[in-house]
Amino acid sequence: MKYVIETHKLSKWYGIVLGLSDVTLQIEPGITGILGPNGAGKSTFLKLVTGQIKPNIGTVTIMGQKVRNNYSLFSRIGVCPEQDSFYEEMTGWEFVTNLLKLHNFSNPEIEARAGEVLKIVELESDKDRIIKSYSRGMRQRLKFAQAIAHEPDIIILDEPLNGMDPLGRRKIIRLIKKYKAQGKTILASSHVLPEIEAMTNKIILIHQGMIFAQGDIQGIRDLIETHPHIVSIKCNNPVKLASEFIKKDYVLKVNFSSTPDVLLVETNNREEFFSILPSFFVKYNIEVDEISSLDDNLQAVFDYLVGT
Amino acid sequence: MPYFLTSLRNVFSFFFFLGRKTKRTKIFYLISFLPVVMAFIIKFSQIFSGSRGFTGIYIFSNMIIVFYLQFLILILALFFGISVCSDEVEGKTLTYLTTRPVSKSAIILGKYGAYTLLTILMVWIGVILSFFVLNVDKLLDFSLYRILLKDLAVLSLGLMCYTSFFTFIGTFLKQSILFGLVFGFGWESVIQYFPGATQRFAIAHYLKSLLPSPPRGRFSFLMFRLEPSSPGMAIFMLFLITAVFLGLACLLFYLKEYILED
Repeated sequence: MKYVIETHKLSKWYGIVLGLSDVTLQIEPGITGILGPNGAGKSTFLKLVTGQIKPNIGTVTIMGQKVRNNYSLFSRIGVCPEQDSFYEEMTGWEFVTNLLKLHNFSNPEIEARAGEVLKIVELESDKDRIIKSYSRGMRQRLKFAQAIAHEPDIIILDEPLNGMDPLGRRKIIRLIKKYKAQGKTILASSHVLPEIEAMTNKIILIHQGMIFAQGDIQGIRDLIETHPHIVSIKCNNPVKLASEFIKKDYVLKVNFSSTPDVLLVETNNREEFFSILPSFFVKYNIEVDEISSLDDNLQAVFDYLVGT
Repeated sequence: MPYFLTSLRNVFSFFFFLGRKTKRTKIFYLISFLPVVMAFIIKFSQIFSGSRGFTGIYIFSNMIIVFYLQFLILILALFFGISVCSDEVEGKTLTYLTTRPVSKSAIILGKYGAYTLLTILMVWIGVILSFFVLNVDKLLDFSLYRILLKDLAVLSLGLMCYTSFFTFIGTFLKQSILFGLVFGFGWESVIQYFPGATQRFAIAHYLKSLLPSPPRGRFSFLMFRLEPSSPGMAIFMLFLITAVFLGLACLLFYLKEYILED
């Protein structure tokens, strides 16, 4: 298998702050998800891969070529940056066409590509509005549009679904999958596991600047499933519910919170826990106001995995 | 056309288009119209008071050195030159440019070219209008047009040279505006009045050496101690300074790592 992106002992510090440490990776064509909590080093990794910043140690190559200051390589790479920044005085149309101009396409080709890509991201009717007036979701879609407008072979997306509505997310995920089917290489980062899961099952876990795990998403899913979770249940009979749960071996602890109608249950098998929960409600005629998982986020999972 | 020149042209057209739309350009267009307003006021007051006072070309020459040479071109070059790099870094739009198949030199030179042309146009409009308003009664005196053309050329050379210097400063320093102000209104204002060879370390020295009609009367002190360089030397030095600072700006932009902070 020929690798498209390769990094070797890649490390980056910002002064005394560690951005990324000793990252050696080989990325094949297809979709690879970079997953990690905020501040884990995902953006640093992507900035190093796209040559935006210089590594302190190590190397990055794309298709066997060094990246930084190798501008000819960028006719084959599309980048969607994380930051919500634009040339605000431009319209969506002007933004895409002017950036396409930098690829040295002819004017008719620029117009055709811009028209097509704005249609894909559903900004066709808003293309003549200035970017300053766009909503967050529209700005995100525009950012995505400029990354794919020149039909690159490698698409690097830093938090591409941030600020998008569910429909927009679904559409972008579908597009990303379409590019994969065309044989392109897509590298997408997110701090939201389900977002990455919806795109790919090939993931790289980054935490505190280091590659924590790499491979199939199912393994990570399993880790999350067995990670002790605290579930808060607000209902009219928390005592009955507690007495039932305490008998289960996958329930580690039950607690009553300071509010009398709220029960806190700690479980190491979320799937079992949530499958039996409705039956208790029905059996004991319990009225439920709210169920929430207190630590159902990536940071909690990482903290658990790294033992902090 | 070689790829570098095509890239240069594309970056130039990108920023010439964008530059016209920015709030900064609109504000500076207004500022560059101040002398036109002043020219109207002077001309109307001359007409209505009946006194002839100073000639139009006398007022125009003083306006060129006091307002344009000592103030406007410095301010324009400072804000537009520094923004060549710092707008991209502070506005976090740099990624859109550096992830295109365009060399970093083409980005700097193309944007510098676009902004220099924009500022030249701004200055020309104001200068030409002021000239016509102040010399409305002598429009058939063609010797005056030579002065106008030379003034336009000197101001354009000034913008070209100062903008290149500030482009370099913008790629180099973070808080570049403050340094630019100190340079423009400190160093440039002081060093040009030093006797002997020292005054040749100011860009203003070469610009003043090229002025077709140095100011007389009240503002003649601005030419105090000027030991002019020959026109050929002055033009050579202005082009040399421009080339050196643009070269340094390109080199720095190529080597330096710009961190787009959150």
